[in-house]
Amino acid sequence: MTVAAQVRTPEKIGGLGARVLFDRIEKRYGPVIAVDEVSLDIAPGEFVTLLGPSGSGKTTSLMMLAGFEIPTAGEIYVDDDPIAAVPPYRRNIGMVFQNYALFPHMTVGENIAFPLQMRKIGRSEIARQTRDVLELVGLPGYEGRYPKQLSGGQQQRIAVARALVFNPRVLLMDEPLGALDKQLREHLQLEIKALHDKLGVTIIYVTHDQEEALVMSDRIAVMNNGRIEQCGGPTDLYDEPETRFVATFIGESNFIDGVLARADGAIGYVEAPGLGSLRAPLKPGIAAGSPVALTVRPEKIIAHDNGASSHLNTVDGTVADVVFVGEMRRYVVALPGGQRLVLKAQNRSGVQSFNRGDAIRVGWSVDDCRLV
Amino acid sequence: MAALTHDLQGADREGQVARFQHLRRREQWRYVLLLLPAVVFLIAFYGYPVAAMLTRAFYDPVPGLQNFEPLVTARSTVEFLGLSIPMNAYIRVFWITLQIAAVVTIVSLLLGYPVAYALSSVSASRANLLMIFVLIPFWTSILVRSYAWMVLLGKEGIINEALLAAGLRTEPLVLLNTRLAVYLGMIHIMLPFMILPLYAVMRGIDRNLLRAAGNLGAPPSAVFRRIFLPLSLPGVAAGCLLVFILSLGFYITPALLGGQKDVMVSMLIQQQISLLKWGFGAALALVLLILALGIYALFTRVLGVERVFGSART
Amino acid sequence: MIQRGLTRRELVRRYGAAAAGVALLGPRALSSVASAQEATPVALPEIPAIPAALKGSGNVVVASWGGAVLDAQLKAYIEPFQEMTGITVTVADGPDPSKVKAMVDTGNVEWDVVQLGRGDVLALDGYWEEMDYSLFDTANLDAALMRPDSFAMVLFAEILAYRTDAFPNAPEGWKDFWDVEAFPGSRTMPAAAQLPFLEGAVIADGVPMDEVYPIDIDRAFASFDRIKPHVVKWWEAGAQPAQMLTDNEVPLAVAFNGRITPVKEAGAPVDIQWNEGLLAEDDWAIVKGAPNRENALKFCAFCTLPAPQARFSMLIPYGFVNSKAAELIPADQLARLPTAPELRPKLFLRDEQWWAENRESVIERWNEWILE
Repeated sequence: MTVAAQVRTPEKIGGLGARVLFDRIEKRYGPVIAVDEVSLDIAPGEFVTLLGPSGSGKTTSLMMLAGFEIPTAGEIYVDDDPIAAVPPYRRNIGMVFQNYALFPHMTVGENIAFPLQMRKIGRSEIARQTRDVLELVGLPGYEGRYPKQLSGGQQQRIAVARALVFNPRVLLMDEPLGALDKQLREHLQLEIKALHDKLGVTIIYVTHDQEEALVMSDRIAVMNNGRIEQCGGPTDLYDEPETRFVATFIGESNFIDGVLARADGAIGYVEAPGLGSLRAPLKPGIAAGSPVALTVRPEKIIAHDNGASSHLNTVDGTVADVVFVGEMRRYVVALPGGQRLVLKAQNRSGVQSFNRGDAIRVGWSVDDCRLV
Repeated sequence: MAALTHDLQGADREGQVARFQHLRRREQWRYVLLLLPAVVFLIAFYGYPVAAMLTRAFYDPVPGLQNFEPLVTARSTVEFLGLSIPMNAYIRVFWITLQIAAVVTIVSLLLGYPVAYALSSVSASRANLLMIFVLIPFWTSILVRSYAWMVLLGKEGIINEALLAAGLRTEPLVLLNTRLAVYLGMIHIMLPFMILPLYAVMRGIDRNLLRAAGNLGAPPSAVFRRIFLPLSLPGVAAGCLLVFILSLGFYITPALLGGQKDVMVSMLIQQQISLLKWGFGAALALVLLILALGIYALFTRVLGVERVFGSART
Repeated sequence: MIQRGLTRRELVRRYGAAAAGVALLGPRALSSVASAQEATPVALPEIPAIPAALKGSGNVVVASWGGAVLDAQLKAYIEPFQEMTGITVTVADGPDPSKVKAMVDTGNVEWDVVQLGRGDVLALDGYWEEMDYSLFDTANLDAALMRPDSFAMVLFAEILAYRTDAFPNAPEGWKDFWDVEAFPGSRTMPAAAQLPFLEGAVIADGVPMDEVYPIDIDRAFASFDRIKPHVVKWWEAGAQPAQMLTDNEVPLAVAFNGRITPVKEAGAPVDIQWNEGLLAEDDWAIVKGAPNRENALKFCAFCTLPAPQARFSMLIPYGFVNSKAAELIPADQLARLPTAPELRPKLFLRDEQWWAENRESVIERWNEWILE
């Protein structure tokens, strides 16, 4: 039933998406700063996710775009029009709410017809568009049901249908899959992605689920304490986190704390207690002698017994814990000096396995680690 | 459970099912036990005495239906829409009572709805504070409040003094001992009973629904008309029912503030009790009770019990 | 309700004493005719030694109307009775005739003596112990008040009350009350909860005071028809007419004398016209099956002694039933009592027997008439 597989597709209901620009947006509640000078330029048709823990300002940013909150400073543009002062009902921006916000006293058909009625569209046209959009989300013939007669996944699709039926050029989604179980969530992630590809509408998506963000987004803006920590494609964020927060929030990371001893061209040398000198690509803005952390993903660390290592960064330690996860083993390695590393080794022939207490030598490529 | 019992065969499976049923029955019994004290209390101290009083209508002073005779004996006729309707004082009083209760209900709704709406749209802590102002009248006895109205409405009361002093009138307005005074006094007492259920239902309305409607293109007036109003209807129904039925039993306020034709049924009942005509008093009370139950049934039939006492939550 | 405490005191301040006693809107008895006059210190006559036959032991339960009447009864009767006879008095509240009926009907008699209007005693025929006058000092009692089933404890008057600032000449009687040209302005009269004032109606129509009974009911209602448009309130509680006079809602009222005296003495421009006033009685009656019948008789006999009678009338402006009491009351206080030697001839006694026979049909007719 995925949209991509649909044979009898209705005509494409969205045109090209709109460009959305946050220009130094700020939102204060008294002394509390919820959103702190956020600037973000979203291209027409782009799928951008605001990712962050609760209280990071992502939902507030979305609410300002929808018009339910008014920024205390800055301006928001849709295409070239400033909209911060436009009331929500004139913005023409679609939105899918966290708990769908389907009107409980209206049928599915009435829910979907609502935005069209508000736009004074004729009765037969409403019926046609309702039928089309229900077909688009894979629930044809559901007009007469009430929301509470539908499953969570079906409600979610009706909410999407209602948000799209009036052809908005921007679609906002606030944790739209948060209430669903994992399997359904993964399924719907792909469906939404497919819808996006098909309609070309600009989607701004809010979630605290980093996996969801990685799967769906063209770009991810990681938010923390009201600010955007880093904005980039999923691969960029994963492979090249710029801050410790981003490295922690997206995927799993090891941090080795030390001091930047010296720089040699593009390579920085980090002195970590008990571990000697470790190398990493140098990052501008860190002066020699300042404290720094070297971060490396667990799957990028390779384990040996005490044999030679071809990797440029090599440390010796002891296996403190082993967890067998099926497709891999997860080792916790205690390092001299008291720090610990987590590494993941694939479960296949040719990869040596270790037991707790074994001496282990681990290493990683200089290109696979970052300074934060 | 289906998966659990799937592989069980024959007696094993039946045993399992029986055990589950047993557990469920025990669960149900637990609820019955929780309700028991209140039910026993109500039956012993409310149900029994009320029933004992009402049944007097059929045997006091002698068995039979003679206590209902005055209610259906025509003393005069009234022309209404070209029909001549048999009439007597008791029918008139029931009619006046219904009329007063209806007006009080409608005006209480019109006044209470905006208040409840305002209360439901401010923060919960501020609403709790403001709620105190709604509830303050509850702290004062009905009698004192009726007297307060006498101070306001009297010939030399505050309103007339102000009108005369401002030169707006040369003669004082007759406000006290009128139907208007009865309405004012009763609405004042009934407003909290209207506001509280309205507020409870309005608080339960998911604010995201209103935002969603705005997002979908509805201006504030349409958000109210299409979303908020229909979702608040259970509160309207509960408030109106409560106010209407409580109003049917009013006694002190009409006696103190009303004019000579503002006689309500409970005043008649009191009169019969003090005349020791308990059977006739019981008959009047019974008719009033049946009337109230009938209106309750009508309300729930038209709106559905769930809508009257259900919640607006999805 | 508002018998005691702050609310009552506030009401007293606001409306004068009369309003505070309004609490009981209901059965006719002294409750609604009593004033809540604040007790002024008066030197009460001492009670001389009593006959040994009145002394005893044990208990007696007296149901009285509480409020100001009870305060007077405590000082005039109950406290000296306990002291001088050795019999303990338990005061019960609110001797509603319907409660007496319920007690006797269910065989659960808790009260011995109750204070009720004569009409209520007659209405509950068969619910009383026979009055045994052998214990009474009958020398100065009016034989007309010594009924077989009750004894008059107090006499009060339903009189014409008027505002002294409303008319150049005081109204002389019910003819003047009915004369809306000579005495313009609104009136207030008792409703059915008290008895409709048929007596005044026929007197106004020309029937002499001593030929009122049996009342010509048709003539009375015809007379009522004439005054009806001018009656702004048919009052239910004794406090109402006093208050309406004080507030200048009406210049003319039918009221109980005990309600008017306090507001007059408090300075309101209000006075009593005693002419053609109706004298009514509240009685002591002993409930059928009373557990302490003997003590109850002793209590009734004690109360009718001259000194307790004088004490009561000095504490609250209601008339005594023992003519010897007049000698014990100072002249200025005697002048406000309906049983004062110079006032008594202006009044006529209500024919309770006539009312007992006609009350039901009169009130039924009244109910129709009031809504016409």
